[in-house]
Amino acid sequence: MPALQSWADDVESHDFPPRTETTDKDGITTIVEYKLNDEGKKVKVTRKIKRTLVKSKVNHVVAERMGWTKFGAEKGHKAGPDTATTTVGENVRLKLTAGGIKKDEPEEDSHSALQAQLAGRKITCRLCQGDHYTTRCPYKDTLGEVLGGEDNPDAETSGAGALGDNPTPSEMRAAGGKYVPPSMRAGAKGAGESMNNKNRDDLPTLRVTNLSEDCTDSDLWDLFQRFGRINRIYVGKDQETGLCKGFAFVSFESRAEAEKAMGKINGLPYDHLILACSWSVPKGTVEAK
Amino acid sequence: MRPILLSGHERSLTQIKYNAEGDLLFSASKDHVINVWHSHNGERLGTYDGHNGTVWTIDVDSTSTFLVSGSADNMMKLWNVRTGECLKTWEFTTAIKRVMWSEDDSKILAVTEQRMGYKGAVRVFEINREAGATQSEEPLITITPSGSKATVAAWCALDQYIVTGHENGTLNLWDMDGELFYEKEDRAHQELITDMQMSPDGTYFITSSKDKSAKIWSVGPDKNAQGDEDYLTLIKTFTGEPPLNSAAILPGKPYIICGGGQEAMAVTTTGARHGHFEIRFWHRVFEEEVARVKGGFGPCNTVAVHPQTKGYAIGGEDGYVRVHHFDDDFFNAKPYGASLEPED
Repeated sequence: MPALQSWADDVESHDFPPRTETTDKDGITTIVEYKLNDEGKKVKVTRKIKRTLVKSKVNHVVAERMGWTKFGAEKGHKAGPDTATTTVGENVRLKLTAGGIKKDEPEEDSHSALQAQLAGRKITCRLCQGDHYTTRCPYKDTLGEVLGGEDNPDAETSGAGALGDNPTPSEMRAAGGKYVPPSMRAGAKGAGESMNNKNRDDLPTLRVTNLSEDCTDSDLWDLFQRFGRINRIYVGKDQETGLCKGFAFVSFESRAEAEKAMGKINGLPYDHLILACSWSVPKGTVEAK
Repeated sequence: MRPILLSGHERSLTQIKYNAEGDLLFSASKDHVINVWHSHNGERLGTYDGHNGTVWTIDVDSTSTFLVSGSADNMMKLWNVRTGECLKTWEFTTAIKRVMWSEDDSKILAVTEQRMGYKGAVRVFEINREAGATQSEEPLITITPSGSKATVAAWCALDQYIVTGHENGTLNLWDMDGELFYEKEDRAHQELITDMQMSPDGTYFITSSKDKSAKIWSVGPDKNAQGDEDYLTLIKTFTGEPPLNSAAILPGKPYIICGGGQEAMAVTTTGARHGHFEIRFWHRVFEEEVARVKGGFGPCNTVAVHPQTKGYAIGGEDGYVRVHHFDDDFFNAKPYGASLEPED
C-alpha cells in the first residue's frame, strides 16, 4: 500500500458501512462512522452534535461578495477557510483600563477618583473589585489574606528569602535592578548564540505549584492580575485529559510586582490546597548546575 | 479575543487594508504577492500575482471594484478586485512606496522612492472607471518635494489637498496644481514618518513615527494662537516606548491603535529587555494608554481598523496577519468613565 494515500480512499478500500447522519426532533444530529484506529482495528465512531444556524444581517454588497469565486492561488478551492492559510491563534486579552497605564500618576488623581466614586455611590469590593461589599465577596476566603495583609513584613521577607536562594535573579539584581543581557554579563563569551527564547526567560517568572486539577488559565489570570501587568501564563496540563498537572508559570512585566505576588501567593490556601510560589529557574541554568 | 492567523505570506507584511464595508482584508508583503481575505472567518478569497518585487503598498477603492498596488519592481498596478486580473501597469524609475485612492475614486496618488539620482515624487493619475485597461500613462500632477523625500501621502479635505509626510518628520500640504500650499514650520515628528491614516471623514489624520510617538492632526484652516490661519494643527500626541510603524484611528470609539517595536535587525544587538511588540491602545481624548494587547512574535509593521469598529488586524514582521474581532467587553466598556459617559 502506498504510504501517501488520503483517508477517504482508505475508508473505501476497507469496504466499511457508509457514514450515516440522522437528526432527531430535538435537532441533535447523530453521526456514525467506521474507521481504522492506530492499531489497525476497525472501530465505530458515534458523535452527537447540535448544529445551530447563526444568521447575521449584512450589507447587500457584502452578501454578494460572499459568493465570489476564488481566484489566483486559491482558484478552484472549495468554499470555507483552508487550514493551510487560516488558523485560530492563542487567546489574547484586551482589557481597557479607564485610568491609563502610566505609573507615575499624580496624587490628586487618587483623591479625585475617590470623590468621583463617592459621588457615584459605587460599591467596590476591596478584594475582587466587584460591585458588592467586601464582606459579601465570594472570594473572601481565598483572597482575603492576599490583599488583607498589604504590608505584612513576613510576606516581604519570605519573598526576599526565596529570591536569595536563586542565583539568576540575584545576579540580575546586582546590576542595579536592570536586566543585563547574557552577552554583556560578567563571564560571557560574546554575543548570544540563539535568539529563539529571548523574551520568555528575560521576564520575571514565577513558578506556582500545588495547584488543584480544576485550575484554569483564567483562574490564574484572575488571581495574579491584581499584582501587576502579566505577560503570559502557562498552565501545565495533561495532554490527554486537559486537566491541570498542578503547576503553572506566570510571567510578570516587572520584577517588583512579581516579587510582591510571590510574597502574597506563597502559602495561600486556594481551592483545597496550599499554593507554593517561587522564582522559576530558566531551563539553561538548571542544566548548567 | 481569539485572533485569526492568516499565513498567506512568506515574508514580512508591508501594508494591510480593509475595504469600505470591512468584509474584505487586503494584505501586501515582501514576498511579491497580494492576498485578499474574508475578514469574518479568515478565508482567503484569492491572490493578485504579477509583481516581481516587494509590494510596499495597496489600496482599494470605496466600491471594492479596483485595487491599486505599488511595488519595489518600479511598477504600479491596477487590479480587478473580483477576478485578480491585472488591468494596467505603470512603470516608474524607482519603487512605489505609497498609493491611495481619492475620496471620489477618480484619482490615485503614488509616492515614488528617491534613489539612484532620481528624485522622489508624488504623482496623481486620473482613473477612467469605465475603461478598465485603457488608462492614461501620464500623470495629471507631479509634485516634487524639494527637501527631504516623502515617505507617506494621503488625500485630505475632500481631495482638495494632498498631505505628505517626510523622512525628516515634516508635514506638507499640496494643492491640486502640484504647488506647495502649506508648509508646517516646526517639524511634526523628530524622525521618519512611517504611516499616515485618515479619519473616516477625512478632516483629521494620524501619523506615526520612528520617534516613538503618534500624533493626530487637524486639516484646517484653523486659527492658531497668533490669530493666523493654520492648516495643520496638532491635536493630540501619544508618546510610548517603541518606535512606531503604524497607527490607526478607531471610528466610533475614542481610541487609537499603535503598532511597532524594536527593529527586527536590532533585536539581537541591543540590551533592551523587551522588544515592545505589543499593540497599544490609547485613549484618543485623554491621551492615556488604556490597553496593551499581545501582538506577533516580532515588530508590528502595519495596523488596520475595521471601518465599522468590529475589530482590527495587524501585519507583522513574522509574516502573519492577525485578525481580531472585539469581544462584548470592548463595546460595553465606558471609555470616559462612569460619570463622564455621554448620554445617547
